[in-house]
Amino acid sequence: MNPLRALVRRPGRLAAEASALLIAVVVAFPLYWMVLSAFKPAGEIESSEARPWTPAPSLDSFRRVFGQQEFGRYFLNSLVVAGCVVIASGLIAFLAATAVTRFRFRLRTTLLLMFLIAQMVPVEALTIPLFFLMRDAGQLNTLGSLILPHIAFSLPFAIWMLRGFVKAVPQALEEAAYIDGASRARFLWQILFPLVLPGLVATSVFSFISAWNDFLFAKSFIISDTSQSTLPMALLVFYKPDDPDWGGVMAASTVMTIPVLVFFVLVQRRLVSGLGGAVKD
Amino acid sequence: MSSVNDRSAVKTPAAATAAAVTAPRPPNRTADARGGRTTRGAARGSGGWTPWLYLAPALLVLGGLLVYPIYQLGLISFFEYTQAQVSGGEPATFEGFGNYGRLFGDPQFWQVLLATVLFAAACVVSTLAVGCALAVLLTRVRAVPRLALMLAALGAWATPAVTGSTVWLFLFDPDFGPVNRMLGLGDHAWTYGRLSAFFLVLLEVVWCSFPFVMVTVYAGIRAVPGEVLEAAALDGASQWRIWRSVLAPMLRPILVVVTIQSVIWDFKVFTQIYVMTNGGGIAGQNLVLNVYAYQQAFASSQYGLGSAVGIVMLLILLAVTLVYLRLLRRQGEEL
Amino acid sequence: MKLSVRTAGLAAFAALLATACAPQTSTNSSSDEDEKTGTLRVWLFREVGNAPKEKVVDRVVADFEKTHQGAEVDVEYIPVDTRAQRVKAAFNDPGSAPDVMEYGNTDTAGYVRDGGLLDVTREFGDWREAKDTDPTAKQSVTVDGKLYGAPFYVGVRALYYRTDVFEELGLSVPRTMDELASTAREIRAARPELYGLVVGGAYTYGAMPFVWANGGELASGKGGSYASGIDSPQARKGIKAYTSLFGDDNCPAATCAGMGGNDTVSAFAAGKAGMAIGGDFSHTAVEAGKVKGKYAVVPLPGVKAGSIAPAFAGGNNIGVLKSTSHRTLAVQLMKRLASKKTQGELFDAMGFLPTFTDVRQQAARREPFVKPFVRTLSAGTEFVPASPAWAQIDSSLVLPTMFQEVISGKKDVTKASEDAAKKMNSAFGSAG
Repeated sequence: MNPLRALVRRPGRLAAEASALLIAVVVAFPLYWMVLSAFKPAGEIESSEARPWTPAPSLDSFRRVFGQQEFGRYFLNSLVVAGCVVIASGLIAFLAATAVTRFRFRLRTTLLLMFLIAQMVPVEALTIPLFFLMRDAGQLNTLGSLILPHIAFSLPFAIWMLRGFVKAVPQALEEAAYIDGASRARFLWQILFPLVLPGLVATSVFSFISAWNDFLFAKSFIISDTSQSTLPMALLVFYKPDDPDWGGVMAASTVMTIPVLVFFVLVQRRLVSGLGGAVKD
Repeated sequence: MSSVNDRSAVKTPAAATAAAVTAPRPPNRTADARGGRTTRGAARGSGGWTPWLYLAPALLVLGGLLVYPIYQLGLISFFEYTQAQVSGGEPATFEGFGNYGRLFGDPQFWQVLLATVLFAAACVVSTLAVGCALAVLLTRVRAVPRLALMLAALGAWATPAVTGSTVWLFLFDPDFGPVNRMLGLGDHAWTYGRLSAFFLVLLEVVWCSFPFVMVTVYAGIRAVPGEVLEAAALDGASQWRIWRSVLAPMLRPILVVVTIQSVIWDFKVFTQIYVMTNGGGIAGQNLVLNVYAYQQAFASSQYGLGSAVGIVMLLILLAVTLVYLRLLRRQGEEL
Repeated sequence: MKLSVRTAGLAAFAALLATACAPQTSTNSSSDEDEKTGTLRVWLFREVGNAPKEKVVDRVVADFEKTHQGAEVDVEYIPVDTRAQRVKAAFNDPGSAPDVMEYGNTDTAGYVRDGGLLDVTREFGDWREAKDTDPTAKQSVTVDGKLYGAPFYVGVRALYYRTDVFEELGLSVPRTMDELASTAREIRAARPELYGLVVGGAYTYGAMPFVWANGGELASGKGGSYASGIDSPQARKGIKAYTSLFGDDNCPAATCAGMGGNDTVSAFAAGKAGMAIGGDFSHTAVEAGKVKGKYAVVPLPGVKAGSIAPAFAGGNNIGVLKSTSHRTLAVQLMKRLASKKTQGELFDAMGFLPTFTDVRQQAARREPFVKPFVRTLSAGTEFVPASPAWAQIDSSLVLPTMFQEVISGKKDVTKASEDAAKKMNSAFGSAG
């Protein structure tokens, strides 16, 4: 780094950093408000003064959330569902993305379009056919009935995203691997896969969040066995039509958001720096 | 620009081809793109059955869990199909285009359709603009502000849509919200006017969907070799120019995906409108297609009608996507 | 003859669609079995503070299992917000369906048409306690003269007002609807930071008493064919009375047009309103707010002095599912859950208003705050049309849209009510 240039650029960078922090504050403000509301004692959330702090923080709302029957079970179920979806859709999408980017075959473009079309239908409309499908497969009331549709719904997006990453791996690398006598499978798993991993992480954030936050399938397919229910169901309890419990809603949402942030912190190094230093050539 | 400089020594595979693909296009590559389906080299050949082998798991899952249900959806849209039919209380009767007739005959449908298209377009443009601008900003700052912005954005992304909408409504509440107080707006009611209500919802939609654009585009920019940016900066190019003539063309594959996805998601916006405008606003002024479908059909289990709306949405989105892809192809970009 | 060939092709295609590939349905015929032992599954709504409810139900269940050897009861609490999907799913997959369930009383007609609920007219008639059931509560389990469950509890709305504000301004409690409006304006004029009577454009059940008190009706009819009455002169008078409350002299349209029932109660609880229309179920929220100890409740006044405006009788019922294979046991459990004893205990535990008139009177003696609500109930209540079309009218927001069109000046009362009536009639027509 040229020190002179750094000096020249400093005011610009400082301005950039100040605005980045300012924007971070603005973006985080609704989140702060959510956490704050979770800590406000009953009755204060909708009081006439909008105080950005609370004089008497209370854990009551969190107690109502954690005090729910089988809350831990729901949490675990959500983890299982999101974990299975992330891993399965990641692997399947990796294979499919490799196929559509590194090979040319008939129907390739059609297939790509099909992957897009799949996301264009309102999910609400698909629950009825999916319900019958799950019923006939005997999957109703199991976590499988949540995992399978989520894999299906996150696949098209994951394939589209991964396509770009797979495409970016140089052709020369592949040719070199074959000249060295590597088999297709070896190239796929030992060379291509590690290179595409950062991209996989980027897409996994997406599939994790959508599986983690899903209400619809959990409402529709887990009918008679609450032990198979997921975290959003514990949030919905607080939405009563006549008398919603906003403190509970905010506390439950806070509890739901934390694991995603943890997941992100775990993968963010890969996500952000992974693209930077995978392989030297 | 330390963040770019730090790793410019490391040449990434992603960067290498990002550069190869776009900026100085090798001649054979361009010809190939134009030529479409010509094969080139063993590795990128048809590969016989191999691609199908790789595709098999995806096709199996998608065929069973998406294509088949969509086929059923099309079928249902031709029937009178309500909860009574689903649970076997009454037989399903074939109605031909009856559901579509009902839909197209409703003047409100056309009004809602127009509002949906305009609103989705505004959301897509704002989300992309904010997401890309912040992605560029991220490359210009050191680790701490970067992490702060990343975490804030991820938090926004991770917040369940119902909660996000509720919180935003709290913030802008004329009686209890802090925003009016900060801006000195008194008891201005954001949800009363049609445009101001749409604007409020737009803010929330952008808030929860820009992080996806930002993170993806940022990951893309990191793959662009540092020297390219460095050179551009040395030439005295402005940020806007660097973006316009260096970054945007290089990131095109990523931008295409991000745009298409945003179009699909924003066209189907539901929770935000439903929660924030209390089911479609004063006298239904803020209805969008998905909420309309829910109220007219799904909430009262009229699946036939609801499926017809679903099919119409599918066709519109498909048309938009195809036009977009065609435009790209005309510019020499292949799928 | 190209055209005819194409038409023929289309017809053939249509026929193919109609016969060969009709969409899937399930068979949810009533079960013929009536086992006297085995497990009974029960779905009840999960309330926010559910523990007291569970305690009461656990006692009922323990009792039931003792008197019915070989029967086991498995109770599950489902979030209210997920009920629609869960119940639909239960109708579609009898394997997952419960035997007995709690449901919202406005859902009765829809569930009956979906073929989900068991006709218990005979058993209800034989039930000794049933004679004390309040007639509107009974109406809420009745479709076409047949009964599909037992009322579990009722919810009803009355007028909350600020005693401190009334005292300070020297106001007396309004005795007629006109007085209600003028009192509201006086409050607003004297205390501009308060809404006089906080009203909501999307608060259907707060608005309907105005229509009913003026002699209007939502719909009239029997035997499955209903006709909207919302455009009758009486109903229009009520709509006018309600919508005239929106304005800068009481509740500004800009903030109030979009409010629902819950928003108005929150505003009152936060001390932003002189009066509000709230339910017995809103009591906890108001107690938790700023106005604790500074308010009282009276029945909403009617048109004439001393009369009470008819309120909407909300609430929940307990029903038996058609697919149950334990018919006798399930009906007995339903009676136990909806019995006088259970309802009395649930009132003490949760504040649910009993559906038996005598139990309700006793409850009012124990807890004075429910008195105005009990008086409102005894003055006679109204209910939504017992038609499956109601679900559609309700979910497509026909009535809130009508009120909001008038409030925001998009249409006048005549036109708005005409359009609403048209929409209602087309829903009644198609749901038949």
